[in-house]
Amino acid sequence: MSNNKKLTVKRLIIFLLISFVPGWIAVTIMWSYYGEPLYASTNESIAVPVYLLGVFGMMMPSVAHLITRLVTKEGFKNTYLGLHIKCKMGYWTASLIVPIAYSAITAFVLWAIYNDGMSLSETFPNVNMQTVGIYIFQIASSVILLFPAFGEEWGWRGYMMPKLMELMPKPVAVLVGGVIWGLWHAPLTIAGHNFGVEYPGYPFSGIGLMCLLCIVMNAFLTLLTEKTKSIYPAAFVHALNNNLSCSIMFAIFGSEAAMMKFAGIPSPEAFVPYIAILSFVGIISLIFLIKKDKAKKEEALGKAA
Amino acid sequence: MSGLLYKNFRLNLSSMIFSLVTAGACCLTLILMCLFGFTLRGMTPKSEELTELTVGFAACYFLAFWLPSMAISSLFAVDESRTCCAFTMSLPQGAKGHVEAKYYYILILNVSILFLTFISDTITCAMLGGVVNNSAMIVIIFVFSLLLSAIEIPFMIRFGSQRGVAIKGAVIGGVFIIAALYFLFGDISWLLSDDDPLEAFMMWLQSGDIVIWLGLFPYFCIAAYYVSCRISVKLFRKGAENYEQ
Repeated sequence: MSNNKKLTVKRLIIFLLISFVPGWIAVTIMWSYYGEPLYASTNESIAVPVYLLGVFGMMMPSVAHLITRLVTKEGFKNTYLGLHIKCKMGYWTASLIVPIAYSAITAFVLWAIYNDGMSLSETFPNVNMQTVGIYIFQIASSVILLFPAFGEEWGWRGYMMPKLMELMPKPVAVLVGGVIWGLWHAPLTIAGHNFGVEYPGYPFSGIGLMCLLCIVMNAFLTLLTEKTKSIYPAAFVHALNNNLSCSIMFAIFGSEAAMMKFAGIPSPEAFVPYIAILSFVGIISLIFLIKKDKAKKEEALGKAA
Repeated sequence: MSGLLYKNFRLNLSSMIFSLVTAGACCLTLILMCLFGFTLRGMTPKSEELTELTVGFAACYFLAFWLPSMAISSLFAVDESRTCCAFTMSLPQGAKGHVEAKYYYILILNVSILFLTFISDTITCAMLGGVVNNSAMIVIIFVFSLLLSAIEIPFMIRFGSQRGVAIKGAVIGGVFIIAALYFLFGDISWLLSDDDPLEAFMMWLQSGDIVIWLGLFPYFCIAAYYVSCRISVKLFRKGAENYEQ
């Protein structure tokens, strides 16, 4: 292994340690203090510290990014903090449209699978100017969630992924990066985040599903970051993804009966269509990500000849 | 562009620090208010206190965004000479880059304040037991602040910072006069029919009649900011002719 690669591995390890350790410690301390899974508790007093844990925990990868650069004296080149809007407008547009599209498609697929004879108009009867206004505002208010989303993205896509892509081919880097990102969520998944604690195979199946979700999301987010050379489109997708889940669509447009039915679907089961739709996005993203590389290689070969 | 941005940050360092400190002070005030008013007394807000609390938060967050906007004129004043403008136009980025850098500077400043208010909102939300969350309101104030800048800057560029401030004052004065005339002679039954006008106003906000407009407002403000930037680029050359040597 060359010296450069050794240095990259060293930096990656420092980055991962700083990203992982505080989250694990915080969840362990809080769980032992409250004596029950943080996200599956009925105790109202847990909700607030858990909320804070979520918001500030999301900022840890960025802190790790910053500390690693300072500690290893890497400097601040290729930080992905520039905007570069004009040259890659298509990817910026995709960062707005794709998350809205896949959350809407997921809601539709969930209705198609679990409708139980309930028609689409019965499931979503509240489509009017008022609810559309609420939904549009919900999209706009994602701006404020950009900060925690940026916190994660500047760490994962702004630091970890470029380092992984230095060490291995892009598809493998996307896979490894997704698994690392999924494992970073593991303390929360074990504490009941997203899936609760009462599902078959707890907690391993939940962690596995989270890793799968992170792999497909990672492909899309890495594509956006690499093509625009900017971290903001990925942060925007992350913020929209967290703010516009299909449960929000059910809450805004859905009937009460549909809401009840949707809430009754076991979380891991509801996640499967979501991951399937995202896989489609992930595969297309991966193709786009590799395609450019092939074109570059062919160009280089042509020049050499 | 990064060079022009650096120039703006370097020349306006003190006003930027002032802006962030005032915004930070507003946020700190809210945190202390929640700490002494509720957390240390082991209380959470009652439902009848929510309206007053929301108005208090809105006032503080509005101040956090509005006070820094007062210092915007200094951002334009530092470059207001014919020599400086001629030099600017001779740069590769030209007048366009010069004006766009100002807009980026203001946007970055506003986003920094948005970050401070977001942190403050997260902390106060936790302190009040999750009862009060003002993130939607903060977004509205943030985009409103951008809208105010979007209206103000073309005037500053065309007529100079001092006249620009005077025009802004005249516009605000005009709005106040119209509002005063409305309250004196208009139909304010919606305000008087209820015991608590504040409550009536909050009810009207939540009634759903204006939700679609409220939803479109952020997009309108962002579009206005972009259009304002284009207009300012066009006006820059004319404005530069009026500057003193």
